[in-house]
Amino acid sequence: MSEQQCPGSVPPSMDPEAEFMASEQQTANDWELFKENIRPLKRGRNVQLLNHALRSHSQPSLKRSLLHTRRRFIDAIDEYEGEDPLQPWLDCIKWVQESFPTGGECSGLLVIYEQCVRTFWHDERYKDDLRYLKVWMEYAENCSDAEVIYRFLEANEIGQSHSIYYCTYALLMESKNKLKKADEIFNLGIARKAKPLEKLEADYRKFLARSTRKKNIEDESVELENHMPVRSFGTVLAAAGVRNHAAENSDIPRKRMKLQRLDTNRPLSIYSERSTEGNSKPEVMRNNERAWHTLANQVDRNKENTSVPSKWTSYKVPQKIASRTVLPTPSTRIEVFVDEECAGLPPVEEVKSVDPSILQLRQGNSVNLKRETELLKENPLRNFPLNHLR
Amino acid sequence: MASRTASKDIITLRGSAAIVSEFFGYAANSILYNRGVYPEESFAKVKKYGLPMLLSQDEGVKSFISSLTSQLSEWLEAGKLQRIVLVIMSKASGEVLERWNFNIETDSEVVVKGVAREKSDKEIMREIQAIMRQVASSITYLPCLDEPCVFDVLAYTDKDVAVPFTWIESDAKLIKNPQMVKLHSFDTKIHKVDTLVSYKNDEWDEE
Repeated sequence: MSEQQCPGSVPPSMDPEAEFMASEQQTANDWELFKENIRPLKRGRNVQLLNHALRSHSQPSLKRSLLHTRRRFIDAIDEYEGEDPLQPWLDCIKWVQESFPTGGECSGLLVIYEQCVRTFWHDERYKDDLRYLKVWMEYAENCSDAEVIYRFLEANEIGQSHSIYYCTYALLMESKNKLKKADEIFNLGIARKAKPLEKLEADYRKFLARSTRKKNIEDESVELENHMPVRSFGTVLAAAGVRNHAAENSDIPRKRMKLQRLDTNRPLSIYSERSTEGNSKPEVMRNNERAWHTLANQVDRNKENTSVPSKWTSYKVPQKIASRTVLPTPSTRIEVFVDEECAGLPPVEEVKSVDPSILQLRQGNSVNLKRETELLKENPLRNFPLNHLR
Repeated sequence: MASRTASKDIITLRGSAAIVSEFFGYAANSILYNRGVYPEESFAKVKKYGLPMLLSQDEGVKSFISSLTSQLSEWLEAGKLQRIVLVIMSKASGEVLERWNFNIETDSEVVVKGVAREKSDKEIMREIQAIMRQVASSITYLPCLDEPCVFDVLAYTDKDVAVPFTWIESDAKLIKNPQMVKLHSFDTKIHKVDTLVSYKNDEWDEE
């Protein structure tokens, strides 16, 4: 089991690790200091870039250069003339992920994902491209409900030859407790001989093991379930189906579900007194949420951000009769503080264009990106023509 | 509060070897836990270095690591151990995904002359604690290990060391074009241990 390096065969030059170890180079520890602010990536990160990015975000001068670089990447996408137009998009996405470790709204990451997938969704040469599928899947990871994306991919025959599509889709359905659907998905993938087939079959077996175990436990505890009113606090919505899991042998899906449980993309469901009229099951709460979102339109939702300051009429401040200060004339306005990053940018034009290839990213300022990101999280396919959605 | 300049403790070669090999045992367990090589439920919590450390309860892993640490102790006392690497490989393909390097510099004067050194035990513990914390937080940049993995341990020793019975000679099992991150180090004044993790960059077009 243990192995020992053969002394005789150590090459005269040091291996890269020994070299690095011996060198004066230190790895800065920004990553450790800011570890709560770093969104882990499945693909891992380059630590040097990460440290640099973390430092940049706390220094405005460096931040400006960050925005410049981002614009360069976007220009590279526009100017590309080769055979593989997806590549500059991937370069841009990778850079944004490394440079904006929090991955939050100001990174524009979600917007880039969305524009990338929208640019190529009708492109035959990428229908089976694994990289393109991965962009879709990373996009899906960031949205509050990825199911609509997976259905879209199926309807448009994108990525259907890759096991990773079926595995991830089925896992998502399992986390929503739609076990029958998950089972169908696995079977579909296997029937279509998705690659790599061994991984798909292995994941399917693990899924079957989990669901039979769960079924046994559920049979025992179903009585208890029905009598207890359920109070859900946001994250429990996602884990409703997972709650009953006993100790599992396969911890990998559980770890992934753990990540989902801590997922900040799902809006917190705020416990509202009025809605619990005896029936407080998670499903009802979720329906209420969805209803709420479709009722309010964009203007309503943004009212805190866009309301014009008005006269303060609710309180009266007692005025001293003795002295009367000269009131400022209404024409004098308070100068609004503008973030340095926005100062240099041209004013944004709200052009809602039909052509999906126009990049609004270039003109975007942080307010726009934030708004667009929120909208995309809730409705990832909002910019797609409706007749292609099922 | 007591004064900051803690009293120094005497450290012998044997004591230092014990500290380092024990450290490696706990570090290996921590890595196996944090990287998901073995399921979470197979670990139990113990208190060590002022932190909740996790130890595997799997019999195979336990016996492997304990025989490993006693061998390491022996090599350390002889001053013959240069580097210890914990390698994580894909179970299916055998591809090396991660390497956790622990480089060891030994004060040869101590080995030759048998003198002792002085350093506060608490200080050493603090240094080890810092490393353990970094190991646990390294998920911020390490790629997600999506598939079942296995681990192995490589020891780099001096040329004149005979290969023990349960060990075999091996190639270096290096990663091509690795990403490397240096972590903290600790020093008992007899053995200095530097830590480095190298990992494979996951690419867009890999299944």
